[in-house]
Formats: sequence, structure tokens, C-alpha cells
Amino acid sequence: MPLFGELFLSEIIKKPVLDFKGDVAGKLKDILVIKGLPLPVVTALIVKRGKKSYRIEWSSVNIFNKRIISTTLLAKELPPYAPNDEDLFAVRDILDRQIVDANGAKVVRVNDIRLEGYHGQAVLSAVDIGMRGILRRLGLERQGDELLRFFRTSLPYNLISWNYIQPLEPKLKSIALTVPRQMMSELHPADIAEIISSVSREEGASLFQELDVEAAADTLPELEPEVQTALISGMEPEKASDIIEKMQPDEAADILSDLPPEKVKILLELIEKEDAEDIQELLTHEEDTAGGLMTNEFLSYPPQTRICEVMERFRADAEDVETIYYIYVTDEEERLVGVVSLRELILADPDNHPDKTLSEIMVTNVKRVKAEDDESIVSAAISKYNLVAIPVVNEDDQLLGIVTVDDIIDRILPPKAKRKQRKV
Amino acid sequence: MKRSRGMMFILTLLGPGIITAMIDNDASGITTYSVAGARFGYTLLWTLIPTTIALIVIQEMIARMGVVTGKGLSDLIRENFGVVPTFYMMLGLFFANLGTTVANFAGWAASTEILGFNRYIMVPAGAFMIWVLVTKGTYRIVERILLVACVLYFGYIVSGLMAHPDWGEVARHTIIPTISTDPQYIMLAIAIIGTTITPWMQFYLQSSIAEKGISIDNYGVSRTEIWVGSSVTDIISFFIILTCATTLFASGIRINEASEAAVALRPFAGNYASVIFAVSLANASLLGAIIVPLATAYYTCEAMGWEAGINKTFKEAPQFMWIYTTLIVLSAFIIMVPGSPLVFLMVLSSFINGLLLPFVLVFALILVNKKKLMGEHVNNRFMNIVAWLTVITLIVLTAVLAAVTIIKLL
Repeated sequence: MPLFGELFLSEIIKKPVLDFKGDVAGKLKDILVIKGLPLPVVTALIVKRGKKSYRIEWSSVNIFNKRIISTTLLAKELPPYAPNDEDLFAVRDILDRQIVDANGAKVVRVNDIRLEGYHGQAVLSAVDIGMRGILRRLGLERQGDELLRFFRTSLPYNLISWNYIQPLEPKLKSIALTVPRQMMSELHPADIAEIISSVSREEGASLFQELDVEAAADTLPELEPEVQTALISGMEPEKASDIIEKMQPDEAADILSDLPPEKVKILLELIEKEDAEDIQELLTHEEDTAGGLMTNEFLSYPPQTRICEVMERFRADAEDVETIYYIYVTDEEERLVGVVSLRELILADPDNHPDKTLSEIMVTNVKRVKAEDDESIVSAAISKYNLVAIPVVNEDDQLLGIVTVDDIIDRILPPKAKRKQRKV
Repeated sequence: MKRSRGMMFILTLLGPGIITAMIDNDASGITTYSVAGARFGYTLLWTLIPTTIALIVIQEMIARMGVVTGKGLSDLIRENFGVVPTFYMMLGLFFANLGTTVANFAGWAASTEILGFNRYIMVPAGAFMIWVLVTKGTYRIVERILLVACVLYFGYIVSGLMAHPDWGEVARHTIIPTISTDPQYIMLAIAIIGTTITPWMQFYLQSSIAEKGISIDNYGVSRTEIWVGSSVTDIISFFIILTCATTLFASGIRINEASEAAVALRPFAGNYASVIFAVSLANASLLGAIIVPLATAYYTCEAMGWEAGINKTFKEAPQFMWIYTTLIVLSAFIIMVPGSPLVFLMVLSSFINGLLLPFVLVFALILVNKKKLMGEHVNNRFMNIVAWLTVITLIVLTAVLAAVTIIKLL
């Protein structure tokens, strides 16, 4: 297993390669790569000594890290490299190339390539497209870091995972992103969001435009707020409102709260009245309070409801509600009186005891938060009581909505695409 | 099919060659030609013929690369020679072009002063105007303004005709070279060539041709454009030398600046000629002040893999916009601050240009001979002989120019 962990191509190119006696066999000139699954695999090293190039198969590589590269062969025994048109080289053919999207539009440039050890082989795992890569190539990465530390910022890592890059072919002219537009909708929304945030703004916007309404509605909440506003503002109001309508009300409210008020007005007018009211209600709360985090889609029934009836209504209502694990019990004034989990409901055996009511099986000691409570209180409560969702009430104890655990996790650990610094 | 191509179709292919050729006569070019005409009369006119040939040879090569590869020059240099030489070349060019932009703002300040405006109003106004044009404008607007501005160059031909030169003398000196050992004469001869063929122009030309997406089938049109454009550039240079030679040289007036030429013209060629000369200089300076920073921003971003484009915003293409903005603001600032080291900056700029030109041209020649890139469109043997001779001559001349300017400064 010659490669452990990861290293960058620029850290090893032009480094001396030692033979097994410790003599310098030459300088590392390039590495030969073939298409592999899932990632391109290094098959041989090309070493230059004098004017001649030699080929060291990966199987004859002994040590391979950023300080030492050595072979199990003798310097004198190295086989010469016979040029072949089909060969693909990391430095000659990949480094410094333009990366284009599926339509051939320019995106970024390959500043460096990251190699990683994988089952005894070295694979190309990511391309560096950022300033950090340029500085590393110039031998100034550390200095750049120190300079920026002085200004109290840091140099971001801008890497694109090789998974998003099309399979390499010999004689390639440019490197293309896979961002396969037709297939985009089949990817998980979080993955689509990651792709959108790793390409240029313009490119990201055009990818987003091509998503169908459902996929767009699922993808949008996964993006950084700035990107969300830019995407929505840059869209026809009709299309934007269609997307917002399909989103969870809390997520829709999050996005609208960052838009200028007149734009919000236009959009809300285009949205179905009922949905618009839900969103408007949520917009009245501060963003980082329980009220700002909550969604007003939840299941709640009166205490005297029979559980067979609950099951029926549940099947109908659960269609449109995201979190169905808790069924809340509210009195005629919508005050929260109890909760039944889906598990408890099923274990209560509605088939054999159809006449039991919710009040008989409900838990009355319901943990709750106030709408104006800070998000830290909400997350503490969810964590302490191991909840999937926590109800939010007003000062009269009326149930307003619920905050789900995934919304809270997004606040504590934003997903990749929502983070400002892109890192693979 | 080929014959039925309409005039409009051919017009759509024009632009890069003409614009590049015109910008060539920016403030520092005009200064060189004015000074040359006033100092040595018609005797330097012949240098324009070899200069034109060299310009055509190099630009044809660059344009061909742009058409065949569809990529800019900095793009190709980055892909074939790696990030290290590219980065330092870009860094050098940034400073060289800062000097050129300063020279253009200086030309703008001086020429508007002749026309009766205050430089402390005109320099910030000009800087703001061109900044807004690119950062807030669209490509269509920018290209139209540039093409209109190019027409104004013909003002020099008008003022040349108004000076009533002795056409027999002019023809004789244009065709028969005058050899002199006067060091200033040699210096000016070199400067005429050095100011005509600059590193940034090659980048600008190839990028704009690549951007236009001209296909190899239409390359004939682009080649003709290069021929015509380069010739027109030097015809304009010719008339600038001519104007100053007919009037100023004949009366023994020596000048150091193009703007002085405009003032000195008045008693000889009349008020109109003087105003036309000044307006043309103002136009050329401002045009240079747009194109040089713009070209710098374009090819730097191209080389580094940053987003670029006039149609983009600060948020979408931050590096592009910041390079452009920095060059303009810094240059305008240097002109406004009394006692700033203007001369030093311009000398430094021509020195860096002289230093970089060999690299740019040699890289270009290596690239244009790569079969992998150019296929059947590599240079043939004849082209290579002409090109290498031109390049070697240029390298020697610019080296001499750079050395002399440095020695003069010390």
C-alpha cells in the first residue's frame, strides 16, 4: 500500500525518485492515469533522467508520499517509456486545463489535482480550482496562509470532487463536469445543491432553471441564503411562485424573508391563498427564534377523536404534511393538551380497539417551546428529550407549529451547499 | 455558396483586428510619432514599412491561433507551459499595463487641457465614465462605442492634409531609408517599432478573435482584416509623423509630448488642425484607457481560470472587475497627485514590456508550431523564417530600447 491519505500532484512533481539502493533514479515528470471505477487510477510513474523518460509501473513503486518516492527497481534497470497516443497524463493532459460544463461553457481551471490512497492504489480524488491551488503550485501556499491569517481570514479550499467530472478519455481536449442536466432531477436535492454551489453563479442559475418545479422546490432550501435570493430574484415571478408554493411553508418563509418586501408581495399574490397565509404567518416571527424555524404543517386532532377515525384522517392528511411522527392533541381553543406518537397509535391497536379515544392514549406532559424562544433553547430541548419535533405555542398555549430536528440540525451543522466555504 | 456571402455577413466577422490595430496608436504611440516627426522630419517615415510588415506577420500568426484553437493566448500559455511562467507573466503585464494606462490618462489630461478643460475635473470624470461603461454596461454598448471611437482616428489624416506637406519629399523618405548614427535617431526608430508591437495587444487580439468564434472557413476575412487594420494603423502613424514634420520640424520646434504638438500646430496649420489633433489625442487616450485595463482583466482571468466578462457583475466575476477597477483608479490617482513619479512609471512600464515581449513572442511561436494544437495550420517553413527573423529583430531592438531607457534614467 504505497499511498496513505492524500497529497497534491504539485507536491510530488519534479521530486527526485529513488531506486531501492537509495540512488536517484530521476525526477518525477508525470503520472500515467487510466479510467477506473469509481475514480481514475494511477498506473505508472514517468521519470525523467537526462533527456530520457522511463516508466515505473505502480506495482514497482515502493514508497509514495510527499517527501519520498522510491521504486523497488534499480536505477539502471528502469524500462524506457514508449510513447503511446492512448496514454493519458495527469500533468500534460489534465493540469491547467479548463473545466467546462456539459454544454461546453467555461467554468474554472484545474490548478492542482488531489491524489488519495484507495485499496492499495492511488486515485485522483478531486481537482483544486481555487487560489490555494495556484499558490501551492507557486510554492507560496504557506505564505498565503500566513498573510491571510494576518488579516484574520483564511484561504478557502475550492475543490471539486472527481465524482462530478466526466470520465477521462485519451486525447481529451477539455475536462467536462458531469452535471448531467437530464439526470439532475434524479439526484438527491442536497447533491444537486452541492453541484449548483460548486459551479459559477451563472452556470448554477441556468442549471437551476432547468430543474422541474418539484426538484427546484426541494433543492432551493439546501442552498446558501445569498444564492437562494439570487436565484429567486433572477426568475420570472410566475415560475418563482410555483416553486415557492411547492416548498414547506417554513422554508418558503425563510427565503422570502431575505427578499425585498415589494418582491415578496408580488410573489405572495401569485401563490394560492391558503399557502400564502401560512407563509405570511411565519414571516411575522424573528428568523432565529422557534417561530422563525417552525413549520405550520402538522397533524392535530381533538382529544375525543376515536383512534379508528384518527387512522383514517391520518391517511388523508399525512399526504401534505412533512412530519407525521407526532399527532398533537388540541382542545376546541387550539390549546395543546397532549401528544401521541405514531408508534403509540399503532401499538394501541386501532383495529381491535376502534373506540378508544385520543385522550385515553395521549401523553399530557408535552414538552413545548414558546414562539419567541431562541433557537438555542429549541435545540437544547429537542436534544434533551430526544424528540423528532417539538411543538411551538403562543402565550395562550395555543399550538402554532412545530420545529423539526432536521431544521435544527441545519442550523447547527449547515449542509455543504449552505456553507460559504466550499470544501469536498 | 461562397460567393453569395453578403456584405453584412463579412461585417459581423470584423472588429477584433480593426479595434486592436487602432488601439495600437494610443497616447504613448502618438507621443512617439509626434516627437519623431518634430525631431527628424520625414527621415523616419521609412521605418513604418518594416514595422507594418512585422506587425502583420505577428498578428496574422496570433489571429490564426485564435481561430484554430478557439482559445486565447494566455489560455494556451497556461495549458502548455504551466501556472508558474503564466503567473509571473501576468504579474509583470499588470505593472506594464498600469504604466500604459497612466500614459493614456496623461494624454487625456493634457489634451483636454488644450481644449480648455480642467484636468482635475476631466481625469476623474473620464475615469468614472469608462469604469461605469464596463462595470455597468453590456458588451454590445462597449463594442459600438469602441468602433465609433475608431473612426475619430481619421482626424489625424485630416490634420495631416491641412498641414500641406511636400509630397515628393514624403514619398522619397518613405521608400528610401535614411541611415544615421545619431543615438536619438536610433532610439526613436526603435521606439516606433516598440510602441507598435506590445505584449498586451497579442493577448487582446487572440482573445477577441477566439471569443468571436470565427471558424477556420472564414479565416480569410480575418486575415484580410489584419492586413487592412495593420496598414491603416501605420497610415495613421504616418500622418502623425507627417503633420509634425511638415510644421514643427520645418520651424525647428522640438517637443516631448503629443499634447505639445497640438499646441505648436496652431500657428502653422491653423486653429482647426490644432483642435482636431487634440481631440484625436483625447479620443485615443481614452480608448487606450478602456482597452488596456479591459484586456488585462480579460486575459489574466482567462489564464487563472476566473470568471470574466463585461456582462457580469462584481459578484459574479469579482477578480475581473477588481483588476479593471484597480488599474483605472490607480492610474487616475497617479495623474492627479502632483509630483508623482510619472516618468519613472512609464519607463518602468516600457522596460517590463521589453522584458516580456520576447517570452510572449517565443511562446507564441512555439505554440503556433505545435501540430497537436494547430493541425495542418502550423507555420510553414517560409512563415517560420519570416516570423523568427521578425521576433529576433524585435527582441534585440526592445532589449536595446529597455537598456537605453534604464541608462538614461540613471
